Amino acid sequence: MTSSSPDNVPTIERLRSAVPGLDQILGGGLFRTGVYIIQGLPGCGKTILANQICYGHVAEGGSAVYVTLLAESHSRMIQHLSTLSFFDVKAFPDKLAYISAFHDLESGGLKGLMGVLRREMRTRKVGVLVLDGLVAASEGASDLDLKKFIHELQSIAVLQDCTVLLLTSGNIHRMAAEHTMVDGLVELEDKLFDARSERSIQVRKFRGAGPLRGKHSMRIDNDGITVFPRIESLYRIAAGDAASSESAVTSGIPSLDALLAIKGLPASSATVVIGSTGTGKTTLGLHFLHASTAEEPGLHLGFFEGPERLRTKARSMGMALEPLEAAGAVELMWQSPVEATVDEIAERLLAAVARRGVRRLVIDGLSGFLESTVYPERIARFFSCLVNELRNRRVTVLMSLETRDVVSSVISMPWGVSGLVDNLFFLRFVHDEGHVERLLTIIKMRDSDYQAGLRRLKIDSQGMHIAGTYRADGDVIPSAQPVGNPEGAPPSPSK
Amino acid sequence: MKTILVVDDELGSAEVLSLILEEEGFKAYCAVNGRQALVQARDVVPDLVIVDYMMPLMNGADFARELRADPKFADTKIVLNSGLPEAAIREQFDGYDAFLRKPFKVETLLALVEGFIGR
Repeated sequence: MTSSSPDNVPTIERLRSAVPGLDQILGGGLFRTGVYIIQGLPGCGKTILANQICYGHVAEGGSAVYVTLLAESHSRMIQHLSTLSFFDVKAFPDKLAYISAFHDLESGGLKGLMGVLRREMRTRKVGVLVLDGLVAASEGASDLDLKKFIHELQSIAVLQDCTVLLLTSGNIHRMAAEHTMVDGLVELEDKLFDARSERSIQVRKFRGAGPLRGKHSMRIDNDGITVFPRIESLYRIAAGDAASSESAVTSGIPSLDALLAIKGLPASSATVVIGSTGTGKTTLGLHFLHASTAEEPGLHLGFFEGPERLRTKARSMGMALEPLEAAGAVELMWQSPVEATVDEIAERLLAAVARRGVRRLVIDGLSGFLESTVYPERIARFFSCLVNELRNRRVTVLMSLETRDVVSSVISMPWGVSGLVDNLFFLRFVHDEGHVERLLTIIKMRDSDYQAGLRRLKIDSQGMHIAGTYRADGDVIPSAQPVGNPEGAPPSPSK
Repeated sequence: MKTILVVDDELGSAEVLSLILEEEGFKAYCAVNGRQALVQARDVVPDLVIVDYMMPLMNGADFARELRADPKFADTKIVLNSGLPEAAIREQFDGYDAFLRKPFKVETLLALVEGFIGR
């Protein structure tokens, strides 16, 4: 089906896939009447993807047919699919049907198979046809026969206004004859990284539009497949001017604001609070969060401490989060650092930011992102894009990052993090005549002045506050330096 | 010898089922869609048909309707089967003698067959 563009060149309409994230990486969806190959090894999600598209099309009022060759039995497929939320038994048989065409392939070859496909498209008037088992269809056929088969299929698809998905587990690294003919090639993969596996989807070929290139992570759960576009491809456009704002946002700690020339953090800036365990990073984040209002909503993304622990912690320092939560000023979001991909977490985070118009964001445990990635070499670009996007959305971000050494005057900035920092605070312990004291040092502030030096930091029932200047002998002045191995590769993540 | 017609587009399933029925002493025939099955049914007039619901060309319900409309098959028992729940099928068609939800155990099928037509 086509429509006219302003210059009267007919454009092909898109088919909405009902697979969250897929249409985004395809630049709007599959083209209607196109013939696409969905390729991947067994178990990578081809069947679920194709079924989800079928059921989605049916839900939109269309009809679909799923044709199998040598694939799992229909009854078994239905049993498996019935556990997924998109399964709808009411779709059968008028709107959706599973049929086998193996007999026709066996007795009549590709011509016999084409007869079935043509007939099914015409009699059922389907908008989506899936052929599961292209490998079986191509066995024994020459490259030319297969090309002719696909060419004929393309012609019929246009005439019948039907989008065709060909599923195959063929060798994903081999350029097959059929690849040259089809309108698009989507590849699914389930790759093992040590003990952890990560699913991905890649649009290798897509005629007529520019998809988001490269691999994108993918999840399969009870809702079927969700695609999480790689954030670097999604937000590849350079950041706007949001970061040039001169207004200030309170840190939530008046004595800390007093050290800053603009009496707060620059609006839409990114601050990293770095320090070892127990130095007060989470507490500083809670102060920042507690300054949220309904007009300036706050969000807390924690990887290590859950919402209930945070509420208790805040309460012990005179900050009640519950009323703010009830008023819609604060939301606490917890994320396991090992059960999601970085793109999934970023998507969830940005959706939460957009949903409530968040202006103050705390990411407690930046290393949660580092632990979530199986591609550490991505992390610098990932953080850069994420923080740029948050700046563009006028979000002021406070992030905590834990150092390995409990007592040290050297800041080890993980590879990729230093580039995104507008402001950098260093929290640390020092020994002082038998006492352990917390110190805060402002290392860097973007485009604004600040009072440098070592500040005593107190945490009590009233929360965190600056308690004067610390005068010390010896090496306590911190120096920030990125760490990485000699080849420049990122280090392995640590909490 | 009692005759049974097995109709299923998943030919492997139909063939396996036919072999089992043959071993149990029935004369079994196979077809891969409703239209082919009608031709065979008119030829052999089976005592019982085991027919899948979703098939190309002619589905199990349409096949059974044709059978029911022909007095020649007045005594032919129809066992409809599908991976879908019976409630979903019954809304569309209820002219069958028994329904089997796939996957089913062969003992269940044989008990049903014997109950209808004996051996």
